[in-house]
Amino acid sequence: MNFSFLSPIFLIGIAAVSLPVIAHLISRKSGFKKRFPALRFLLASQGEMATRSRLKDLILLLLRALTIVLIALLFAKPAVFSFSTADSSEPRSLALVIDNSFSMGYGENFKKAKKEAERLIDSTPDGSFFTALPLVPERGETISVIQDRDTARKSLNKIPLSQTYTDNERRLEQVYSALEKAPNEEKQVVLITDFQKNGWRREDYTRKWLTLIDVTETPAPGNRAVTDVESRYTKESIKVKLRVSNFSDSDTSELLTEAKLSGEKIKAYIDIAPGDFTTGEFIFPRTRTNEEPEASGSASIPEDELRLDDKRHFVLSRSGALNVLIVDGDPREDSRLSESYYLASAAETASELLRSRIRIKDNDSFLDEELSAYDLIFLTNVGEITPGKAKDLEGFIEQGGTAVIFPGDRVRAGSYNTLLQNILPGELGAPAQTDSTLVSVETDMFSDDLFKKISQARVNRSFTLIPAEGSETILKLSDETPFLTHTSHGEGNVFLFTSTADTSWSNFAITPVFAPVIKEFLDFESLSNTKRRNYIVGDSVAIDRSSAASSIEVKDPVGENYKIDPQEPVFSDTSRIGIYKVLIEGEEAYEFSVNLDPLESNLEKISRFSVESEPESELGLVKVFKELWRYFLWGVIALFISESVARALFS
Amino acid sequence: MSNGILDIDTASRLKGFHFRTRSSVRGQKSGIHKSLYKGVSPDFMEYKEYNRGDELKQVDWRLYGRHDRLYVKKYEDEVNLSWCIMLDKSASMDYGDEGSNKLSFSKKLSATLAYLLLRQGDSVGLSCYSELESDIIPPRSGNSSIMPIVEKLENVVSEGNTALRKPLLEALEVYKSSATFAIVSDFLMEPREIRESLQLLRASRKDVTLFHVLHPDETDFGFEGSVEFQDMESDAKVIVDTRSIRHTYMKRVREFKEELRSMCHEFECRYVFTASDVSVEEPLIDIADK
Repeated sequence: MNFSFLSPIFLIGIAAVSLPVIAHLISRKSGFKKRFPALRFLLASQGEMATRSRLKDLILLLLRALTIVLIALLFAKPAVFSFSTADSSEPRSLALVIDNSFSMGYGENFKKAKKEAERLIDSTPDGSFFTALPLVPERGETISVIQDRDTARKSLNKIPLSQTYTDNERRLEQVYSALEKAPNEEKQVVLITDFQKNGWRREDYTRKWLTLIDVTETPAPGNRAVTDVESRYTKESIKVKLRVSNFSDSDTSELLTEAKLSGEKIKAYIDIAPGDFTTGEFIFPRTRTNEEPEASGSASIPEDELRLDDKRHFVLSRSGALNVLIVDGDPREDSRLSESYYLASAAETASELLRSRIRIKDNDSFLDEELSAYDLIFLTNVGEITPGKAKDLEGFIEQGGTAVIFPGDRVRAGSYNTLLQNILPGELGAPAQTDSTLVSVETDMFSDDLFKKISQARVNRSFTLIPAEGSETILKLSDETPFLTHTSHGEGNVFLFTSTADTSWSNFAITPVFAPVIKEFLDFESLSNTKRRNYIVGDSVAIDRSSAASSIEVKDPVGENYKIDPQEPVFSDTSRIGIYKVLIEGEEAYEFSVNLDPLESNLEKISRFSVESEPESELGLVKVFKELWRYFLWGVIALFISESVARALFS
Repeated sequence: MSNGILDIDTASRLKGFHFRTRSSVRGQKSGIHKSLYKGVSPDFMEYKEYNRGDELKQVDWRLYGRHDRLYVKKYEDEVNLSWCIMLDKSASMDYGDEGSNKLSFSKKLSATLAYLLLRQGDSVGLSCYSELESDIIPPRSGNSSIMPIVEKLENVVSEGNTALRKPLLEALEVYKSSATFAIVSDFLMEPREIRESLQLLRASRKDVTLFHVLHPDETDFGFEGSVEFQDMESDAKVIVDTRSIRHTYMKRVREFKEELRSMCHEFECRYVFTASDVSVEEPLIDIADK
């Protein structure tokens, strides 16, 4: 319900409220003057009357001023109006769409929206049909249009505040589709919203029958939110990095932030400039508790008017046993002469520290092997790579796998350069004789101890390599040619040596450096190969399970269980924020977190002007006025009587 | 018919009236007032046995014939009286239009009273006073004494503030033998000063008559609207809504008059209130005997 005046020009009359005061002041200054002998009696009388007179004057002044204001308002024709279809007395089909996106959780906005909707239900003419719908649809929703107001009110009150974002236009189109089939010829769609910018793809969206009601105050209020949280293992610790954004026009200083992980808690204070964000990092020492493959925690700031985005959850995951494939392109009868021997030995040594399953395949078997089952692949002197396998390998790396390539005499540089051009960290040249030692390059991949021993390796023959743009050289030879280079591709990594993994081209495999270097690859993969455990609301979650699993369930943060089809293990009901548990065969397998989309934390509104830019008449809506002048007239009469009574009482 | 400030018409109408004091007074000449001294007088008072030294002409010989004893007739002596008319000429008295001006009225009242008093054989003096000065004419008898009084009254100009005690003290120095003081004023001063003045007069064994002259505006407060009033004897100003203050003001004036009347009663003085727009005959009748 909006308030307006039909003849606002008369509001100028309110200025006349000053007339009694001005008249009083003028009369005081330029009134009739008289010389009078008995002034002493006047002074005495006035003193006696002063208090009473002041009270009387004040009351009369107020009554008269109020009377003038009311008269001015009366002439200005006050009225309340609401938007309605052209003939407001006609029954219609009314769709009330309540914005239940999480930004509506700010203060009392959601309650106000429901109250406004109830008022609309009550004020719509008899014979109308109603439907009350959330802007964020619920799963399995059916839109029904009903005539009973009570039922409409009940379905309105059942609409929950969602924890997700909205796609307003898509949803409104759904509502229009449903409303077109509704009984009455007159239709109206009322969207009660906070106009938060994120929900609108087009700010100039207009539609026939559409009425937009803003339940918020203008301008949009400020908000602070935890908009991102990342967690990762390092060798000695677990780092939790959170980002806190300040969506307001004022500075935020000394904001208390808190990170929790497996029962441990760290607090810190941060400052954030207006419209900016600050990143904070919390470092938890690695303990037995958080050494578990799955650890969950949260990062938060003190609650404000919009509480939902003041906390984000995370699940820290490490992969289980690494699946390692060693492809030996030149296996020997005496396995100790094979390159795979050195690699497997080094990897097995590392397995005592890191769980890994190692498989060794020859070149032919490799061509038939399903690569997605592995996390780390060593290619040693693999001469034959088909285009299909090259594509598989590229896909494997893109998906997060790591490939370590040792060339050898079977490798044809041209073939590699062609087939693996997308993933190689450089262009291989021809193999050449050399007599070089390994030289360290500044990198954080290897420890200082390892670098000290690196010069023990001597290389007699190696491929030349022209590093590609974006690649990095980790180890090089004393003749300044690259020995080990690295590049990222997709989510995975490729490491390319320029010499063999056996002793035919270098003694690298038998130096004390070799095993630690191979372990670094396993470590690298282990740290980077964490499973995805953190999602935002609305994401579909692919459940990790063994192919033999027959029963999969997901328990959401409020304890509700969802059964998952083992054949298509995807969970889509990520509508609540918090920690979800995956149960496989009834046993808790792992957890994942679901957080808000941080876009909605910015409460910036779209311009209502652009939304309402289409004239209301074109929308089929008119303002329906209810004049209030009668109430004001009664008010004026009442004031006149009051003034007369007050005068009589005081005289 | 009026002759300037002397209202001859009124004086003519009051020809048969006498203006007497309430108590016996000391006088020097025969007059209408009862004397403290017993002597030759038309009014017989008592007999007294003859003593040596009594005048033989006062012996009642007829009584001697009947009783064979000498008695002397005693008469109540009537003496003339000395009046002091005190006219307040303070600024506050100069209020009102012609015909209702308080000072003009008071002058006429004083002149007519003086004329009547002189006509009955009393001697009359005049003191035109204010806080600033007192202009005094000593008491004289005889009809011709009216002229200097009238002249003085005609030349009186209002000035200064209202006061009583100081002018009274000055007047008492001049009118030592005067028995009666007639004070014509609006008495717009502190009641305490009026009380002290009356006390002083009564202590000096003077007979006192107060003519309290107020303008109808002062008693009825017939103003309308919001008016800025300025005092006639000071710079004080006040803006009042006449309608709202009228009731309280009139009550105050009534209380003041009552206070004056009560004071006069207490000190056995005559109190005559008169508005300034009436004939001087009215207040004079109030104090006259037939």
